[in-house]
Amino acid sequence: MIELIHVTKRFGETTAVDDISLRVERGELCVLVGTSGCGKSTTLRMINRLIEHSDGEIHIDGQQIREFREESLRRRMGYAIQSTGLFPHWTVERNIGLVPRLLKWPQARIRERVEELMAMLGLPMGEFAGKYPRQLSGGQAQRVGVARALAADPDILLMDEPFGALDPITRETLQEELRDLQSRLQKTIVFVTHDMDEALRLADRLVVMDQGRIKQQGHPLELLREPADDFVESLLGGEDRGLKEAALLSVSERMLPLSPRLLPRERVSQHASLREALSIMLWRHAERLAVVDDEDMPVGELSLRKLVGAKAHD
Amino acid sequence: MTEAASDVAVRGARRWLTPLLWGGLLLGACLGMQHLEGLFRLVETDSRSVIYARADFLTLLGRHLLVVGVAALAAVVIGVGAAVAVTRRAGRDFLPLVAQLASIGQTFPPVAVLALAVPVLGFGTLPIIVALLLYGLLPIVRNTLAGLQGIDPGVREAARGMGMTSGQLLRQVELPLAAPVILAGIRTSVTINIATAAIGATVGASNLGDPIISGIVNGNTAYVLQGALLIGLLALTVDSVFARLQPAASTG
Repeated sequence: MIELIHVTKRFGETTAVDDISLRVERGELCVLVGTSGCGKSTTLRMINRLIEHSDGEIHIDGQQIREFREESLRRRMGYAIQSTGLFPHWTVERNIGLVPRLLKWPQARIRERVEELMAMLGLPMGEFAGKYPRQLSGGQAQRVGVARALAADPDILLMDEPFGALDPITRETLQEELRDLQSRLQKTIVFVTHDMDEALRLADRLVVMDQGRIKQQGHPLELLREPADDFVESLLGGEDRGLKEAALLSVSERMLPLSPRLLPRERVSQHASLREALSIMLWRHAERLAVVDDEDMPVGELSLRKLVGAKAHD
Repeated sequence: MTEAASDVAVRGARRWLTPLLWGGLLLGACLGMQHLEGLFRLVETDSRSVIYARADFLTLLGRHLLVVGVAALAAVVIGVGAAVAVTRRAGRDFLPLVAQLASIGQTFPPVAVLALAVPVLGFGTLPIIVALLLYGLLPIVRNTLAGLQGIDPGVREAARGMGMTSGQLLRQVELPLAAPVILAGIRTSVTINIATAAIGATVGASNLGDPIISGIVNGNTAYVLQGALLIGLLALTVDSVFARLQPAASTG
């Protein structure tokens, strides 16, 4: 659990972070989002004391971070950044084992842990262990960066635009993998990004920042449905908000049970988002879709009226 | 010896072939200079002696190496130390000052340093070591600074963010990454100083500069050539040793 209580950071005359309070529960993925210079990275770096806060208190599991030695505090938290920061003169294996080695784990345990992480992140040991960072693609390097952040099995993970430099397809894959990892590992994650789609896709709690202040925080759907002001609304996509909300809702939430009526030919998976369903309808010129499960068996149907959430009959 | 082991040995020997070759030539020239008497007669027809004989060449070579080695060692300790110190948070204010001092050290001619040092330190090897140290400092300081400043800031940020202490960061990350550039600076510094050390002979530090100075004073071109030949071979030997060390350091 991470708690920021009235935290302020001043650099000389300028106030980068202005009196923010924030609570990230255990197992929660909290995304800080905002335009550049809004203080989101500064906030993240105050949590592991790469930047010291000027005022207020920051607690980790109820203990003030200033009570820890800087290094031991950081070794308790994973840290992944956009440029990966992999050590170019170390192999992938050695890079991943960095924090366990700093914590003086026995060699055998480090090796075992590195192997486990590489398997978890889809980096076959035989192929990648001996490679140097310059031999990796952007996506592979970022996977190694995430593996290194997870190496000592920290409860807390701090991620500063980790996928920002990747191409859209790799980025989406890694976002999915992170969600997947998170559902299994239940870490407390603070994730910084300026990409709203990424933020909406990942966040359990979305924190919108502007000029060093928190404008609004809550579940992504809450923010989409009731943005606090024009700034939050425009950051969330303005006119596109409907589509962004639809992307967060799954077909199974709006589908109707199977009826004696003839099933439509066009189908959509029950795990798909409403946005994908809408796209199929637009593309196929269909107002009704059959909803199918993983075995492609029909489990219900979805109409356009139902999809858009129309209140009248049905 | 197994085949694989002998293979490694052969490859090792081949890697060191150039330094061995220059080193061999250097030693050969030191030991067998008198066999070249006929050759030197051609340049110096009217002198009675054409082979420098006031001291034997091997001793001069040893003293030459000692002076350059001690100066280089001190320059590395001071140069790398200063460059590391001014790239730490606490010493950052002194960075421009140190960079400037090192530049001044090189613009100051070693001969002038000798002239100023002799009254203070007396004749002998000490003033020439000081002169070489000052002269050789700049390439080492400059390259160490360049090497440290050339490290991707993300690497440093990650290292700190992962919980490395500043000592661990320096030893495990910064110095290894900067090593090839630092080594190039040391190479430049040492190679220049091998030639510069010859002027030490003017203040009583006997080394391979002796035959040159003595040749100039006595108008004996053969002596000058012998000193120059040996200094040239020494510079080539040492330089080729550094050339061998360098690629090994970059993969470290």
